[in-house]
Amino acid sequence: MSGSAKPAGETLYEATGLTKEYDDGNVPALRGIDLRISRGEFVAIVGPSGCGKTTLLNMLGLLDRPTAGELRFRGRDLTTLGDPAAYRARDIGFIFQSFHLLPNFTVEENVQIPMFGLPGSPAARRARAVELLEAVGLSHRLAHLPVKLSGGERQRAAIARSLANRPSILLADEPTGNLDSKNSEHVMELLQRLRVEHDVTLVMVTHDRQLAAHATRLVEIRDGRVMADGLSP
Amino acid sequence: MSFLQVIFRGLWRRPVRTGLTVLGIAIGIAAVVALVGMASGYEKSVVNQLDTIGIDIVVSNMQGGIMPKTFEETVRDGIASLPGVSEANATLMQMLSVEDAPMMVVYGREWNSFTWDGLEVLEGRLPRDSAEPAVVLGKLAAEVMGKKVGDPLQIEAVEFTVVGIVDGSSVLENGAINLALPRFQEASGYEERANFVNVRVTEGTDVAALCAAIEARHPGLRAVASGEVVGTSQGFRMARAMSWSTSLLAIIVGVLGVMNTMLMSVFERKHEIGVLLALGWQRARIMALILCESAAMGLLGGIVGVLLGAAVLAVLETTPYVRGFLEPDLGWALALRAVIIAMLVGVISGLYPAWRSSRLSPGLALQG
Repeated sequence: MSGSAKPAGETLYEATGLTKEYDDGNVPALRGIDLRISRGEFVAIVGPSGCGKTTLLNMLGLLDRPTAGELRFRGRDLTTLGDPAAYRARDIGFIFQSFHLLPNFTVEENVQIPMFGLPGSPAARRARAVELLEAVGLSHRLAHLPVKLSGGERQRAAIARSLANRPSILLADEPTGNLDSKNSEHVMELLQRLRVEHDVTLVMVTHDRQLAAHATRLVEIRDGRVMADGLSP
Repeated sequence: MSFLQVIFRGLWRRPVRTGLTVLGIAIGIAAVVALVGMASGYEKSVVNQLDTIGIDIVVSNMQGGIMPKTFEETVRDGIASLPGVSEANATLMQMLSVEDAPMMVVYGREWNSFTWDGLEVLEGRLPRDSAEPAVVLGKLAAEVMGKKVGDPLQIEAVEFTVVGIVDGSSVLENGAINLALPRFQEASGYEERANFVNVRVTEGTDVAALCAAIEARHPGLRAVASGEVVGTSQGFRMARAMSWSTSLLAIIVGVLGVMNTMLMSVFERKHEIGVLLALGWQRARIMALILCESAAMGLLGGIVGVLLGAAVLAVLETTPYVRGFLEPDLGWALALRAVIIAMLVGVISGLYPAWRSSRLSPGLALQG
């Protein structure tokens, strides 16, 4: 798994010299990342803990801003966006290791949350949420609060939520990190299936090489630098 | 799910804290409603009384107190001789503890003057003359004191007989004890003194010019057209200022309480706000959420506060200290004003927490 991948589809992300430093430059997290991600890819970003994987994912989702470098999405410079909310609302679906479901909202309401501010009536939002929860096998859990769900069910609900706004990119940060091996496999199969069905590009951070093998492309990060970038074996 | 549901779900996540904050606002608003309602009720009672009796000008010596100072009763004669005056009579009014009642309004009215005209006799009669040791009670006063016609009634050290019960069509009249001026002067120790001269003018008289003429003839006294009594009286101004300044304090306490609650809420919900930002919510929407939650608490507090204030007024109305000389006035206008104030308290209190929430970095907020 080495060498440079040659993405064939439309270029979505283009990062050049992407750098992130914390504590006034004393703690470098990313040290000049160059990366291109194209439409339809399933990219696994791998590397040891603290290597900068999550920081890179946060940069792609504009949850955090780079200290230096350039980051373009469909040719547009993301670093100059004032409020990235519209970009996230339109193009991005997030899946987190800790699920981050809102505890006071039912599973169905959690899936509706990303649709606020997008065109559509409350009834249309509800219909879309029900449809997605059916797709992840949670139609019997619509009215339950997240606390009543198992870890695997919570992550499936979070996956349904990530697709609610019909994003073009899914950014998944250790999506199976809090799950047992059986649930991890199930979630990976689900992600694979939904990626194809919904025609989304998937960028997944993981430290698990076995899970990374599901991806079409592996990007290995170490000490904030891309050490390897190539097709999955 | 609507945005409104999101707002109420946010408030419901800490029901006890939300409830206590709403209660805090409600108590503040109840204080506003009760105080302003009492002050406004008192003003209304006085205006109503002047209208009922048909007084055009009130002359008094209102120097720095709520109760006017007394002056020589003969001032009335000087005023009566002025051109444009149809009738002038002297009244002595005092607030006294009478028997078991802690505070009663007592009027000494000149016998045969027009000030008796507005009293409709419900039971018994009016005093026969100014010499009879008799009193007539307003219907509320009779109820408060538990008196009926024929009962004795002691004012200061003098014993009188209740000869009639009257309806005076204003709460001040209905809550008062009325007797002939000389009898009250004698009982209260204010011989040949009064503290009001009530004036009726002849048709076409320039009331403002007559007031000026009265004041010129009797320096130290103030002559006020009956329609302006409330607006110019120092006592009313003091009562109004006190009620609004106490209300302002209640509002400031309310603002601090809600702001504290909302700041704690924003701090506790950093993670939730981070998730919402990550899921594409605009900062303006997050700010709107916090502001709406804050305003909703204000609205709830306002509604509960108005109900609480109405209950306080209803209870106060039955107490011997208030009954008979105060008729609290809780109209729709005051209720609406109180609810709007409460909502403003909510919005103002939410501004800073909302701004804080909008400054959160989603990346840091999600890290916890």
